[in-house]
Amino acid sequence: MQNFEKTFSDSLPDAEEWRAARDRVLLYVRALDAPPLKDLELALESLGAAPSASPCDAMEALFGILEAHGLDQHPSGNSGDRLTSFPPINRGVMVAEPMDRVPWKTALVRSLRRRGRELLAGERAR
Amino acid sequence: MKAPDNTAIPSWRRAGNRRRISLLFLVLLPTITSSYTMARLLPDRASIVLDALLVTVFGILFAWISVGFWAFMGGLFVLLTKRDRFRVSKSCDGRDFSIPDAEARTAILIPIYNEEVNRVFAGVRTVYRSLKQTGSLDRFDIFLLSDSTSPDVWVEEEEAWHDFRREEEGTEAHVFYRKRDNNIKRKSGNVADFCRRWGKNYRYMIVFDADSVMTGESMVRLVQIMEDRPDIGIIQTLPLAVNRETLIARVQQFANHVQGPLLAAGLHFWQLGDAQYCGHNAILRVEPFMKHCQLPRLPGKGTLSGDILSHDFVESALMCRAGYGIWLAYDIEGSYEETPPTLLDELKRDRRWCQGNLQHMRLIFTRGFFPAHRALFLNGILTYGSALLWLTFLIVNSAQAVSEALFEPIYMPILRKILPILPVWRPHWALSLLGSTTLLLFLPKLLSALPILVKDFRARMYGGPICLYLSVLLEVVLSMILTPIRMIFHSLFIISTLLGKSIGWGTQSRDDRGTTWKEAFAAHWWGTLLGAAWGGIVYWIIPSFFWWISPMIISLGLSIPISVVTGRASVGRFFRKLGLFLIPSEVRLPPILQDLEDNLERPPRYSPFGHSRKQGFLRAVVAPRTHSLHVAMLGRRTHEKASSKRREARKQLVEKALLLGPDALSAKEKNALLRDTERLRELHRGVWTLEDEEKAALWGLAMTRER
Repeated sequence: MQNFEKTFSDSLPDAEEWRAARDRVLLYVRALDAPPLKDLELALESLGAAPSASPCDAMEALFGILEAHGLDQHPSGNSGDRLTSFPPINRGVMVAEPMDRVPWKTALVRSLRRRGRELLAGERAR
Repeated sequence: MKAPDNTAIPSWRRAGNRRRISLLFLVLLPTITSSYTMARLLPDRASIVLDALLVTVFGILFAWISVGFWAFMGGLFVLLTKRDRFRVSKSCDGRDFSIPDAEARTAILIPIYNEEVNRVFAGVRTVYRSLKQTGSLDRFDIFLLSDSTSPDVWVEEEEAWHDFRREEEGTEAHVFYRKRDNNIKRKSGNVADFCRRWGKNYRYMIVFDADSVMTGESMVRLVQIMEDRPDIGIIQTLPLAVNRETLIARVQQFANHVQGPLLAAGLHFWQLGDAQYCGHNAILRVEPFMKHCQLPRLPGKGTLSGDILSHDFVESALMCRAGYGIWLAYDIEGSYEETPPTLLDELKRDRRWCQGNLQHMRLIFTRGFFPAHRALFLNGILTYGSALLWLTFLIVNSAQAVSEALFEPIYMPILRKILPILPVWRPHWALSLLGSTTLLLFLPKLLSALPILVKDFRARMYGGPICLYLSVLLEVVLSMILTPIRMIFHSLFIISTLLGKSIGWGTQSRDDRGTTWKEAFAAHWWGTLLGAAWGGIVYWIIPSFFWWISPMIISLGLSIPISVVTGRASVGRFFRKLGLFLIPSEVRLPPILQDLEDNLERPPRYSPFGHSRKQGFLRAVVAPRTHSLHVAMLGRRTHEKASSKRREARKQLVEKALLLGPDALSAKEKNALLRDTERLRELHRGVWTLEDEEKAALWGLAMTRER
């Protein structure tokens, strides 16, 4: 175990500094759920391409690589880049029918109006 | 599809009219007799106003319980004789589960609002697989219609839908998900929104609640009946309550299994094609629904205005007005729902229903509605209104008893009569009145087990005849204990609704978490005090009367422990061990409920994060797959539409989120970010490129260190 640690700390001179960047990148590629070897390749490539040991640079490098490989694509449906979760719209109408909630009031108003019209018509005829 | 020919009166309508007229007599005659007896029983020297009030309230309540009694009796007749020439499922007897007409497509609508996503999708998976087994899956599509306002639930729903599609369907799409940006008109608006968008693609729709489950067979049967009977607009099934373990829920499940079929058959006997739609576990004909059943907003201000809350009653009245029949298929099996797990959850639901039912006061005289539906509106109002009437009745009774004790009787009202008026106590009248009221209330409950014992021979599915009857008796006892508590709450709901206090749109609790002592105290303290004060005053002034009202007083006084104990799953399980309140699905789980249980136990998908699947917003920001899915489902449109001011505000939200973490954002702010593709991308990238480990830890990106 000690040999293992020694070998790796020798091969990566700033191992302590790179740890945060490595963990961040590895977490991201694991979350992508890509095939196991592919995600390790991606992590390695991005750490190699990062200009410094900061997690920010490593992640920017990873985003660049994902973009270059077309791996940043969102799941899509048949209609292009938007994943539609429902079928094409077939528009219909739904309009509320009249609801006469107080029919006696309507009847009274109607009859008064009719009566008024009749009176007016009588006046005019005279 | 044309509306059915209204000129030819169907035979069921004539039979229905005859039955309802006889029901009217069966209810009115005993009501008049008993009200008269009640009036004669009252002491002559008491206040005439109190007497009149007491007799009126008594008359209304007596009529109301009589309707319930005769509904049960009708059901008992149907279930015992098995004679029902109007049974809607008759045409399906002996048929297979195919739907020959490829045009007869059905949409299953599941409106959801901040629900437990795992439960919703377990239900969807169960229903989907059950439909697949019938071989008629290609005639059905399932639509999840989300009105969820919680950002976490929104993302969780999307993930669950995507996982379902990936695992179950492949390229063949039968399950769709639609999230509304606004919640206009709540559930009825959600269904109407579906109808406007896709209603033309379907001949029928089956509406579910979030906790509904129906077997594929039952749904195919419903479609077959609708195909055979173009005069039917809606068929309502009888959903059986299952899957709960708390005491109160188990008791309700038991009552629903034992009394439910009887009541449903009885309602069918009296209503026939003028039945009511309960809002879920029912099939509707889409075209007439779209044409005739859009609900208007009720004009004016206040709690009885605006959106119609109890929409189902009104939709059924509108469908009937358009000439379509509404039937209750009481004999179609395989329709399930879940009941509220605690008394407080039940009361929360009742608060909503109460306001909705009271709105019907404004619709009861609407032109063109059938008398049967006006009666259903009245029944709905009385469901809660009766509580206030009972309370009034009891208060007036107590007041009268107290006044009897406090004031000197006047035997010689000089101005009225020459001879003295002596109080006459007629105990045999009082006893016969008490006996007839008790009979109306409890006889249906006692008789409800009869069809199980003598007709279906299924008593062993309820733990055997002894356990069955013991459970029936205990159910009566528990309902007597709970009734006073429900009564004062329902009275409060009515008063607060009439005073203009509106309610929000709460999510129904659908698990057996129970009620804590703190919650029970907060809800019941005033009921306890009311009971104690009422009992105390009556006992102090007239101790002999106290014992008459003691069951109610004790129940109110103990409402806090009653609420806690009845809401405990452990107590429910204890009764189950004793073989009490057993229902068939607890003795032998039907395959569909077994599937539901299995689907609920499905392990969550692999994720390297420590986030729970309920942390939807966090996942949409951090987890690359969830983020991609959400962005893909959102599309570009929202960002393009946003004004520059709004864009600036959202930019500031991103900065705030990066600086303070997700917990610093309100639900509104989270929703705003989730609606903006660009800002969400920016936040995703920003979080993953955070240098500061503490800030990254707020998003779940911290690496653990050995201590």
